[in-house]
Parts: sequence; structure tokens; C-alpha cells
Amino acid sequence: MATVSTRDQQGPGRDKPGRGERDVDAASRALGLSTGWNVFSYLIAGMLAYGLIGWLIGRAVHVSLLFPVGMIVGLAISVGYVIYRYGRAEQVSETERGDDR
Amino acid sequence: MTGDVAVAAAGSGGCHLFSGCGFPAPGLQDFNFKPIFTIGAFHFTKPELIAVLCVIIVVAVFWAAFVSPKIVPGKLQSLGELGVLAVRDQIARPALGRRGDKYLPLLVSLFFYIFIMNLMELIPFFQFPSMSRIGFVWPLVAVVYVLYLYLGFKNQGAWGYIANMWPRGVPWPVYIILIPVELLRFFIIQPFTLGVRLFANMFAGHLLLSIFMIATWYLASFTIGLLFAVGSAAMVFFVFGLELLVDLLQAFIFTTLTAVYIASSLEAQH
Repeated sequence: MATVSTRDQQGPGRDKPGRGERDVDAASRALGLSTGWNVFSYLIAGMLAYGLIGWLIGRAVHVSLLFPVGMIVGLAISVGYVIYRYGRAEQVSETERGDDR
Repeated sequence: MTGDVAVAAAGSGGCHLFSGCGFPAPGLQDFNFKPIFTIGAFHFTKPELIAVLCVIIVVAVFWAAFVSPKIVPGKLQSLGELGVLAVRDQIARPALGRRGDKYLPLLVSLFFYIFIMNLMELIPFFQFPSMSRIGFVWPLVAVVYVLYLYLGFKNQGAWGYIANMWPRGVPWPVYIILIPVELLRFFIIQPFTLGVRLFANMFAGHLLLSIFMIATWYLASFTIGLLFAVGSAAMVFFVFGLELLVDLLQAFIFTTLTAVYIASSLEAQH
């Protein structure tokens, strides 16, 4: 692995203009990928968690309708949370960039 | 490609359009193989052979590239460095910054192992992505899962790690509502989607390739079916190219998400 760092320090691409931009692109790609799959995971987790709670309560009180109701409630909670968490992050980053449109 | 067509032909059993037999559609039976050899209750099959071969290929290539590194690198060393730097600059550093260098050996191994395993679906004779058997995916997911949980508990403490999952500055009833969602997402859904995504893409890709290969053979006859056979053959080449992209992309996504999960374990995210 030592030679990798040697090449990195001596390589012609080290001070190439635009490298910082490429790094930012790669970082935003990683962030976007993570955010996308997080949102997907929240939607599934919300439906599953509250679907399970609804199913358990429904089983106890003999009301099978509570299972789909729980899933819908879970989905609504997930959507709300996703908007709160990631929608807010977008606004904050725009403010930090000094975007005054 | 000739090998692919030969296997497809064998799979279709000489069945052609208007010959009295139906389309021999590929299915789950194409993912089961006869054992090459058996030791007690353990059956060594083709997917396992491919998995072992891929380990040998990745280890051998990187060992040969870096066993005696030179200041002016040779061809193999250059290739190895290119691979390592690509993973470092496109996956490790963007997600982890300079701390990512510590996890580079893991990320490089994961990326190239998954990529070579996926590529095996396109190489004649092998023609099977072992990752389309979900049992080959779970051990990789288990390694990543145990690692990021360990790092999270080590760096943030047990309570801190759990507490940092929740957003700051929201009313306390919201926390109670979010507890089941956040716990399920973090401990179950996140590793589950990491594994299923890779498995499902490889499974679907192999099935798609098989369908068009068998269809080409099935439609090839001196009838109007020949026209459709040509179309199906063209689709084989198209899907082949598409799968090449998917193989690379899936290795990239798996490794990038691993890096992101490690990053979230090293510091709190809000």
C-alpha cells in the first residue's frame, strides 16, 4: 500500500485543476446515494413497524382492520419524518451556501 | 457468447417454435446445480466454485501487484494502484475523508470481490453470478453490519450511538412515535436492503439473460419466428452490455453504502 501513497503524492494529477470539484462531486454522489436509500428504508420501516403494532393490537382485540390501518399510519409517519429530516437539511445547506434567491 | 448460446440451447432441450413444445422458460431451477462433489452433508456446487475462484483471483492479482512494489510501477502494479486509487477517490474519501484510508483494504476487497463475482455471469463457461444466490450475499452483509455496529458502539458509546440516531430539537412525543421506525430501519431494514439489492439485481440480470438466450434458440427456425430470433439475439447483446454496467454499479453501491455506514458509526449524523 505504501506505493499507492507515493504515486498519489508524486502523480501528475495531484495538482490538476478541478480535482477539488471532482471530490465534491464524488462526495455529493455518496451523500445522495445514502440519502436515497435512507429514505427508502424509512418508508419500509414505518410501514413494517406500525403494521406490526397494528397487527398485534388487532390480534389482541380481534379487529383485523388495524393491520392495514397501522401500515398506512406508519407510512404517513415515515413520509412526514423524511420531509422533516431531509427537507430541512436541504434548506439549511442552501442558507449556509448563502443562496438568497 | 458462443458458450452462452450453447448452454441456452442445452437448456431449451432442442425445443423450437412450431415443433410441438412450449417455450422452456427459465426459472428457479436454473439457480440450482448438481454437486461437483460431496463431503458428508456438504455439497460443493458451481456457485461455490465460482466464489472460491473469485477469492483466488482477487487475492492473486493484488498480491502479484504489490508483492514487490517499485517506485516506477510495472503494468500489474499500475493496474493495482489504479484500482485502489479509484476505490479510495470515488468511494472511501468522499464518504469518510482521510479517515477512510484506514478502511481502504476492506473497501477495496469488497468492491473487487463483488465486481468479479458479478462479472462471472458474463464469462463463458461460468455464466452464473453467485450473488444471485442470497446465501453468498449475507456473509458480506454480516461483515459490514458487525463492523459498523462495533465502530458505532466503540466511538459513540452504547447510549450515544442510539441517542444520535434521533433528530435534535423536536417535541418529545415525536421521539416516542419515531422509536419503532428508527430502530427497525437501523437494525433490520438497512442491512436487509444492502443485501437484497445486490442479490435481486444479480438474480434478475441472470434471468433476463437466460430468457433472451433461450428465446433466441427457441425462435430460430425456418418460419416467421426467425425474425423474432434475430430481435431476441440483439436483446442478448443489449442485456449483456447492460449487465456489465449493473455488475459495476452494484459493486460500487454496496461499497459506497458500506463506507457511508462506517462514517455514520464514526460520528453522529443529524
